[in-house]
Amino acid sequence: MKMKRELGLFDAVMMGLSGSIGFEIFVLMDYAYFSLAGSGMVLALLLGGLINLLIMFSYCELSAAIPEVGGEYTYTKAAYGGLVAFISGSLRWLASVFGAALAALTFAQQLSYLFLRVAPAIEGFVSAQTSLIAIIVIIILAALDVKGVRKAGMMIVTIFLAIFAIFLASGLWRGLTPPDVLPRPLPEGLSGVLSAAAYMFPMFFGMRALVAGAAQIKNPEKNVPRAILLSALLIVPLYLGVAYVAVGVVPLGVYDEPFLNLAAENIMPGVGGILFAIAGMVAGLSALGTSIAVQSSIARGMSRDGYLPKILLSVHRRYGTPYVATIAGSLFIMFLSVVGVEGVPFLGYAASFGSILVFALVNLSLLRLRKKKPYLKRAFKAPLYPFTPIAGVVMSLVLLVSPILLENFYAISALMSGLGLMVLVLLTYYLRMVGRYRVRIAVGGISLGMGIFTALLICLIETGFVPIVLSPVSLYVLIFISVISILAGLLNVTARTPKIF
Amino acid sequence: MQISIKGIRKILAAVVGTVQGTLGALAVAFSCFLYVNFFGLQEILKVPAGFLPLYMLILIIFGFSSIIGGLFLLTEGLESL
Repeated sequence: MKMKRELGLFDAVMMGLSGSIGFEIFVLMDYAYFSLAGSGMVLALLLGGLINLLIMFSYCELSAAIPEVGGEYTYTKAAYGGLVAFISGSLRWLASVFGAALAALTFAQQLSYLFLRVAPAIEGFVSAQTSLIAIIVIIILAALDVKGVRKAGMMIVTIFLAIFAIFLASGLWRGLTPPDVLPRPLPEGLSGVLSAAAYMFPMFFGMRALVAGAAQIKNPEKNVPRAILLSALLIVPLYLGVAYVAVGVVPLGVYDEPFLNLAAENIMPGVGGILFAIAGMVAGLSALGTSIAVQSSIARGMSRDGYLPKILLSVHRRYGTPYVATIAGSLFIMFLSVVGVEGVPFLGYAASFGSILVFALVNLSLLRLRKKKPYLKRAFKAPLYPFTPIAGVVMSLVLLVSPILLENFYAISALMSGLGLMVLVLLTYYLRMVGRYRVRIAVGGISLGMGIFTALLICLIETGFVPIVLSPVSLYVLIFISVISILAGLLNVTARTPKIF
Repeated sequence: MQISIKGIRKILAAVVGTVQGTLGALAVAFSCFLYVNFFGLQEILKVPAGFLPLYMLILIIFGFSSIIGGLFLLTEGLESL
């Protein structure tokens, strides 16, 4: 059934803002300020905002030219088809699940802070169990998603805007001036600023919600690009203001409390920290719910196109919701949440890298579509073409490389994990292309080879050709492994299996 | 009760698949334990530091191919149940 287009420009801008202003601001500024950029965080946010604007130009043109559900996946599919679309969809899915784990941990962190303020006696217990709390929250929200319960994102953003307005007004009322903020040291210099920009980039990502929601917006060819640009422009001064005030009231140092809560408590003693903790918890829950739904919708889209098993399309008999995709994604999110609050920088970089790569692909798609499909009706055209999409690609790569050059441990871990997951993604694509039967024969061959090799090795050891002494237990274990591998290899090689995809 | 060759193959596939998949999972878990030196495994097994990546690679290749092969067999074995 086709969705009704009933949202105007104002609603669309609010949709873009509600996607952007989320839990990220409560959790990402911490590490960016204390460990990466110091007061340069303000500069990093400005840089992030400008890069986001560049990228959004490409989104505007593409969303106007292809006003269909699917966003990045649809654009890359139109430009490159097959493999690139699959990679783009997979990266978007990975960014969603990493982001969801981050949202769950933000909730746990803010809950811990709330207990610190209202019930310090049990705060120690809560802060030691952040992973468990995150997992419980994921289970609850996944269950709600399976049951089909939805929330009101627009109302949340209105409340957030009010809270940030109070924060900004109170900070500026204290008479904060640039000298209070700017002369602070930059812990890692300019590269720290670039790393912080990459790390905090997820604070801008949510704007893409507009592209995903294009199907509900009236006159999408005009309203979607306008709304994307307006929300991209509005978000920058808001973030800069919040960062400016927060940096002005919290000197660099080592604290047990989250940065923004600390700043709010300094500005509004007694209530500021608690207010921000509640806002952070609501933001975390809201983003987690959205991310669970988004990852499920991406997985189903790829399954519909035949890239993933059809089982992901299964719908719950009673609630009519895609429960298999929801549960599978939620299990992965739970697994990621085990890293706890200490792993927040890792999750932040992982979510950021995934989306930055998608952004680069979107810009490349724009370049390709201008050449491949010049006849497409474009209600909005990216200004200064081809400078904007090229700059978008280059700046995405700069953001990706900066933390690696700085040898940031979390960034390198995130990149390595991402590469490992991409290998799995490509393997899945290969499996889809060659069909299950051939893969089964290949795996069977490997098993058979390993079994025969192990048997040969045992013979050589026992006859003394290889100078290794094996205990009887090790010998029996090796014989058992060899027999099982040969049997499994033979069964797999001789199997007759039709394609499952 | 008559058991056909196809039936025997299915039972065998389910049993061998389960065992092979379990062996694969154990190999992957063992490689993780070895990497983080759980219970001082590297010292107990006298693994030279330079050889650790090689052992890990062998265990992981064996582990994952066994898991995948085992799952194929298990699926075949459980197909008509």
